[in-house]
Amino acid sequence: MKRLSLYGGSLLAAVILFGGVSLTASIGQRPKAAATTNYWWAPGSGQTFPASADFPNASGTLRVLLDGGPMATKGHPFFTALSPSGRACVTCHQPSDSMSLSAETAQRRWRETNGRDPLFAAYDGSNCPSLPQDRADSHSLLLTRGLIRIQRPWPPRDPIGRNITVDYKIEIVRDPTGCNSGKYGPAAEHPTVSVYRRPRPLANMKYLLAVGFAYDPKQGMPLPLDPETKKPLSGNLMADGRASTLTAQMSDAAGSHLELTRHLTPAQMRQITDFESRVFTAQQRDVSGTALDADGAEGGPMKLFTSRPGQLGSIGKPVWSEFEAWEKPKPGLTREAAAFRASVARGAKIFRDKTFLITDSSGINSPIGFGNPVRNACAFCHNMSQMGNDVAPGQVDLGTTTLPFADPAPDLPLFRITCLGRPHPHYGRVIYTSDPGYALTTGRCADVGKITLQSLRGLAARAPYFANGSAKDLRGLVDYYDRRYHIGYTEQEKQDLVNLMRSL
Amino acid sequence: MKVVLLIAAAMGVSAAQAEELRFVTCPIYRDTDAGKKSGCWLADAHETGNRYDVSKAPSKPDWNHAVLVEGVVASRTTEDACGGVVLDPVRTSILPADCPRHMLEAEGFPGRKFVLPRRNVSPLSAARAPIPGPFAARTFRVFYDFDQSFLVYQYDDYLFDAAVAWLRAAKPRAIKVVGWAATDSVAISGMDFAEHADIAKERAEKIAESLARMGFDKSIISVEWHGGAKPVIDPDIDGLVEPSRRRVDIVATL
Repeated sequence: MKRLSLYGGSLLAAVILFGGVSLTASIGQRPKAAATTNYWWAPGSGQTFPASADFPNASGTLRVLLDGGPMATKGHPFFTALSPSGRACVTCHQPSDSMSLSAETAQRRWRETNGRDPLFAAYDGSNCPSLPQDRADSHSLLLTRGLIRIQRPWPPRDPIGRNITVDYKIEIVRDPTGCNSGKYGPAAEHPTVSVYRRPRPLANMKYLLAVGFAYDPKQGMPLPLDPETKKPLSGNLMADGRASTLTAQMSDAAGSHLELTRHLTPAQMRQITDFESRVFTAQQRDVSGTALDADGAEGGPMKLFTSRPGQLGSIGKPVWSEFEAWEKPKPGLTREAAAFRASVARGAKIFRDKTFLITDSSGINSPIGFGNPVRNACAFCHNMSQMGNDVAPGQVDLGTTTLPFADPAPDLPLFRITCLGRPHPHYGRVIYTSDPGYALTTGRCADVGKITLQSLRGLAARAPYFANGSAKDLRGLVDYYDRRYHIGYTEQEKQDLVNLMRSL
Repeated sequence: MKVVLLIAAAMGVSAAQAEELRFVTCPIYRDTDAGKKSGCWLADAHETGNRYDVSKAPSKPDWNHAVLVEGVVASRTTEDACGGVVLDPVRTSILPADCPRHMLEAEGFPGRKFVLPRRNVSPLSAARAPIPGPFAARTFRVFYDFDQSFLVYQYDDYLFDAAVAWLRAAKPRAIKVVGWAATDSVAISGMDFAEHADIAKERAEKIAESLARMGFDKSIISVEWHGGAKPVIDPDIDGLVEPSRRRVDIVATL
């Protein structure tokens, strides 16, 4: 189908069957999408991916837009079960879950298939392949935290497969899954380190790939270059930065999550890249009945589609100024709608302006030069206009995976990291972590615990939060920050932030 | 310790301004809330009992670690925003030694609102003025904190970026990257200080890699490194002497 601009002048409209529910897909005007109750996109279903689709969630409705109009998925490599297990990319990147996967969806899928869905593949959809696969508790990390097993090579390797010199030692303190000891783990014949992480949303990619500045202030170097295009890389794709391009990410995923023994073909990679580059997701409507782009507000994915990515909110369009119009009350609204809008607008201002002391967080307090502590707000790091990710490569240690800041997580492995060279700037010589994060890519002790900042769009559709799923809901996320940085949010401020984030 | 700057005379700096203080101490954070990045950094010089305001350093201290302070008392009388004698210019280098973290309340001191440093790199989307020729052989420098090879945000990245912009316009036939380390031992606050010799190599190699990332052909880049660095005069070290030893020279040959 000819690719048309969503905001151009054409008024082509098409009615598409999607999961048995009729959807109106409009191209060339603001799409009018009807909600669908079909939460699961099965690989190989052959459905047409619509130009616009709405999916209900507990907070309201998520909207998914596809630039260029409806797309046939029959035979498309993103939607086709290329994996021997029957998995496809879409298995863990569901449109209804903002192109990620919620724990709730995983639980529902378990119930509906009695655990036989390819989502629960032994390789990474269970806590460890060595466990009995027919038992739910063997998949507990996916079912309760929405976590997929990530098996990293040990020692880390560079993009062309050479071992990287590591300046730390890794030991296993706790291995509740069994995947870091015996035939697995760093001491195995084929050494690996297994960590468990949330699938990142494959949507709004132009923001995650955008390069705002030529330098990475967290590394004190110019951005690395794409070996193919020689252009600078954003560094914002993967939790641990192990792949910096969509093709590298695809290759990584194909060899691990899809268990392919052959490479994806260049044609397949082009198809997947094309699709991923055209998908935009955001919450469109709140459960209170308020459209998030009503009365001057600019919520929803259309704004994401039409805006230029990579802009720093502090020198351009302030982060979450999409809800600025709601700072002034509008007459005639229901009490509930008026209260909700005011709360979202306050939440945006709190996000940008309520400062607190950020302490002992590498990637922020070191080594950039900001100092430890530094007073700033959420938008200090979540600084990209429209999207809230980091304009710079976003590898930051919030402490969500590393002691003493991490919440207790007896179901996750615990590693003891010993720095062999310089000690870690904040943790010292010995570090206890459930996920070394970026250090599993760089081999540097100073990078232990750093995780690339998450995308903030479509949050309502994809709980739980943080890379290890440690915040079960948005309130849990706010509470973590409040504890970690002693912010002292009031109850109202917490609710305002929750309302803001559920509107993204 | 005070270092009398003979070089300062050549730069037109008065004798009163030319006393470069160097001392090691545990930093103190004063939480003056004048908005984002507004907190104050204070440093007590134990030798004199004076408290200095070192907030204007391009890279700020870490309250868990000792800090090497190098600076000059500000020439202009400025408001006491933080509760210390203002050092400006000033550099602070975080040292490995642990410190008890100490934070003061604002206690009536207003702090300073954050102002974007004049040395900041523009976003890629911003248009850049072309650099006019003619060009002649030239040396650019970037400067480092003690025993570090990290390019400090909104200081070193700006210096490096300015060098890159010129090099792109001048198209040199050769670029020599020379890393320097201040390896000569000197006593500061009763301790002997000397940079590790390896840091000169680390600095040079990182700059060479940075130039390659910015598109320069590796075949025209040569790298060398030395200890025993001597001070240099350069406007971007703001008249400070000792920190000028810790640098990389990027030497362009046309």
